Amino acid sequence: MTENYKEYLAARVLTDNRIVTYRLASRALRVNVNIAKQMLHDFYLTQNANKQKSVHATFLLTGKRRNPEHTNGIHAKDGEDTFMHSSPYMSSLPEPEEPEEEPVPVTSMVLVREEELEKTKAEFEEVTSIHVYSLEPGLIENMNMLSVCNQEIAKDYINENPLEGWKTYGSIHNSYIKRRTAKFAPPPSAAPKSAPKTAVKPSAAGPSKEKETAATATRGSTSEDNTSARSTPQSSSGSNTLKKSDSKSNLKRDRSDIFRSFAKAKAKPKEAEKSKESTPAPPEDEPMQDMSEDEADENDAPEIAFDEQKAAAARKARAEREEKLRKMMEDDDDEEMVDASPTEEKESDDAPLDKAPSGKSEESEAAVTVQGGRRRGRRRVMKKKKVKDEDGYLVTKEEMVWESFSEDEPEPKKPKPAPTKSSTTAAKGKKTGKQGQGSIASFFKKA
Amino acid sequence: MASADGDLLKGPPFEPVYQSSRGPSAYSPLHTFELPKGAERHYQQQYADMYFLRLAQLRSSVKQRAEDAWKDFELGGEKAKMVDRVLDVRQGELCWIVGTVFIEMGLKPNILDDISKEHWIAAPPPREKYLSPSGQDEMMLEDESGRLRITGEALASHYVTGCVLAALGTEQADGSFQVIATQYADLPRQPQRWERDDSALAVSGQKVKQKREKAGKVAIVSGLEITGTLDEDIALDLLIEYLTGELGGSPDQEKAREITRLIIAGNSMSHSSPILSREDFAAQKAGKKHYGYDASNYNSSPSERFDSLLSDILASLPVTLLPGSSDPANVALPQQPLHPALFPQSRQYANPPVESNESREGLDSVTNPWEGDIDGWRVLGTGGQTIHDLLKYVEDVEALTVMEMMLRWRCIAPTAPDTLWCYPFQDDDPLLVKDCPHIYFAGNQTKFGASVIQGPADQQVLLISVPKFSESKMVVLLDMESLAVETVQIGIVRPGPKE
Repeated sequence: MTENYKEYLAARVLTDNRIVTYRLASRALRVNVNIAKQMLHDFYLTQNANKQKSVHATFLLTGKRRNPEHTNGIHAKDGEDTFMHSSPYMSSLPEPEEPEEEPVPVTSMVLVREEELEKTKAEFEEVTSIHVYSLEPGLIENMNMLSVCNQEIAKDYINENPLEGWKTYGSIHNSYIKRRTAKFAPPPSAAPKSAPKTAVKPSAAGPSKEKETAATATRGSTSEDNTSARSTPQSSSGSNTLKKSDSKSNLKRDRSDIFRSFAKAKAKPKEAEKSKESTPAPPEDEPMQDMSEDEADENDAPEIAFDEQKAAAARKARAEREEKLRKMMEDDDDEEMVDASPTEEKESDDAPLDKAPSGKSEESEAAVTVQGGRRRGRRRVMKKKKVKDEDGYLVTKEEMVWESFSEDEPEPKKPKPAPTKSSTTAAKGKKTGKQGQGSIASFFKKA
Repeated sequence: MASADGDLLKGPPFEPVYQSSRGPSAYSPLHTFELPKGAERHYQQQYADMYFLRLAQLRSSVKQRAEDAWKDFELGGEKAKMVDRVLDVRQGELCWIVGTVFIEMGLKPNILDDISKEHWIAAPPPREKYLSPSGQDEMMLEDESGRLRITGEALASHYVTGCVLAALGTEQADGSFQVIATQYADLPRQPQRWERDDSALAVSGQKVKQKREKAGKVAIVSGLEITGTLDEDIALDLLIEYLTGELGGSPDQEKAREITRLIIAGNSMSHSSPILSREDFAAQKAGKKHYGYDASNYNSSPSERFDSLLSDILASLPVTLLPGSSDPANVALPQQPLHPALFPQSRQYANPPVESNESREGLDSVTNPWEGDIDGWRVLGTGGQTIHDLLKYVEDVEALTVMEMMLRWRCIAPTAPDTLWCYPFQDDDPLLVKDCPHIYFAGNQTKFGASVIQGPADQQVLLISVPKFSESKMVVLLDMESLAVETVQIGIVRPGPKE
């Protein structure tokens, strides 16, 4: 490895015309940073001996500076690092201590281009170390360009275990640092690579779908999270299209995929049917109807008639994706997954990812999990919505909305005990009208 | 032996490099400033309670101090005596009183101004100082009974709204109280080094360990102000590389090895505060309604970048992270820890929430202000808002002096809740200093400074004002054995125009 550094540097700097820092070189060549610094210097000397000015370098100087105030280019503020003494201005202060002049030692680390190297060196009283910081194909005007290399490291070497890095790269080891297992880790950068094609589609496919994912995805999560989250249901839907009559819109299909899994459990479709028949049809529920239709016809044959070969081929990839998504879901505090029964898991090999959403839609009670001492989950709340109808009257509608919550929020006043209750209320539908809805509202009172 | 002398300007053969490793950092944070969670946190309380609490808790010690100082004080044959309530002061009588200072200032922000804002043609510029230029600010001393106007040389620019003091003087014919001298509570009791750890050991039945490993250094930095743009300041990268021990030659890497903890004292990200201004908020509300994540109103790149920087450091160095005024935390003091969801990578180094009370090596996202024990020393730190606000009340005063006076007043945020946003504490005010720290640092100051102050009972406190890294490119290193301070200056010779 250590021998082909010249090729690497030549390829990077001379051929690709890109900047390389010692840090990037050490990552790429898997050598200690100090050796990488020397490699850079060696390459710098040999190249410039062959051809003048073919490689430009920046250097890092460390040591004591003579008179920082007079330095050109350094920030003006750095001259003010004097030891401030407490000067009690209170007349009643007991002891005005004698100020002792004891300047605070300052270590300077200066990044400098080769042009200014000698001049800067002269400003140093004592140089404790000097090394090549980076090599670049030509003169650079903006030093901040160099930080691009570090961003490259952050992107390309994310899969390396940072706790092992000290062995190879020689950063300072700290045996006391522990890293939690990557249970909640964001998916590695491999995720977008594996599904770059699908990642684009679904965002265009269905805004409602995206709403769903957006709800589950952590706000602060990386973009990889989002793409992988989107890509998964899309790909599974893609395989389903083989069997589908395709009369449905994209949006419907997407949604159906999410909820398809609960069509698998035998009792569940009926429940869905029920709710379909009896829903008072608030706009939010409309797509759900379509979905349950989907489920109904899909449930009978397509699942079984599913192209086995294709499934086998896709199984492995899916398992991976599932793992990723599970991670992400866990990351999202979506702990309902735990609730899913293992049998169900086996059955729903085709769309294992859909479990979490399905659980949500059926059981309208808060799926609360206590994890690591924190209460997290998702609950369904009734939200009032005022709409002006065509006659100009104000109509207040109540809609069920999913809402995630964590321990930071107070518990709902009366947590709903069982899913059966919700199905009965759903079955009663319009008839029960005000009365039934009122009771639901009190159950799902927004906290 | 090039790697030994730090000159790495040499070619092959490359020698194997010595692997260095860091020492432990004894660390046990206190949770003084943590607010109750969820439904326990209320904002309905009146702020008056805070002043009441402050006065009630500080009165006895201020009184004690005043008694010691003035019990034999005589002026023109008249002995000074204590008057319990400020309204009981008789004209012409030499006496002393205890109360909370309130200063009526011409340019102090006024809630009524906020309401009348709609009628302004142009808003006045934000104020640098609250002091009115003509010097007409009135100072008053207040207790439960009422207010008394106080005047006198002894007061000028020495006190700010909210501090509790004892004033000696007489009431003048015009009703104002002429102050001759003042007293304040001064530094409270200072715990011994390792006191908490020792008592914890004693309680758990273990032998109190006499010998401890030699403590390393603590690096303090503040105001990283990460923008998340592509051409981020290279100094940030140099900082990370320095802390992880990659930058420089072996002598410098050896020095970096001594650092056992990094404290980030606020303002790590710039412009990432999620709270919109009133105008922006109105504009957004009027606009189209979005569901879910809307990338247009939240830019995650600063926090992503900060996360990656943090995770770089964390592999090698434990970090204590305080929020600051520009960070995405709550605005009112005490600012609560930055949420781990902001740091998907770095939070793997943090303890899971259930164990958050344990000491740790890794990422500790803490409150601002924050208090805790590092290597046995009691450390108190803030992100600097308290000092900035207090500096608006006075002129020509150094940040270090302000920090000193805060400790002596035993209140690290006297101007809260008057001009500094603050949680309405009800039963206990954590902003009052109960234990004198050994080290008190404040981030985001205009310049670096360090000094040692002494208290009446031989307390010694090291004050450090930490400059913004984004401006000064400076890291403060604090030796946890000797409490000696040094700095590391990161510089970039900008290829500027030739002179």
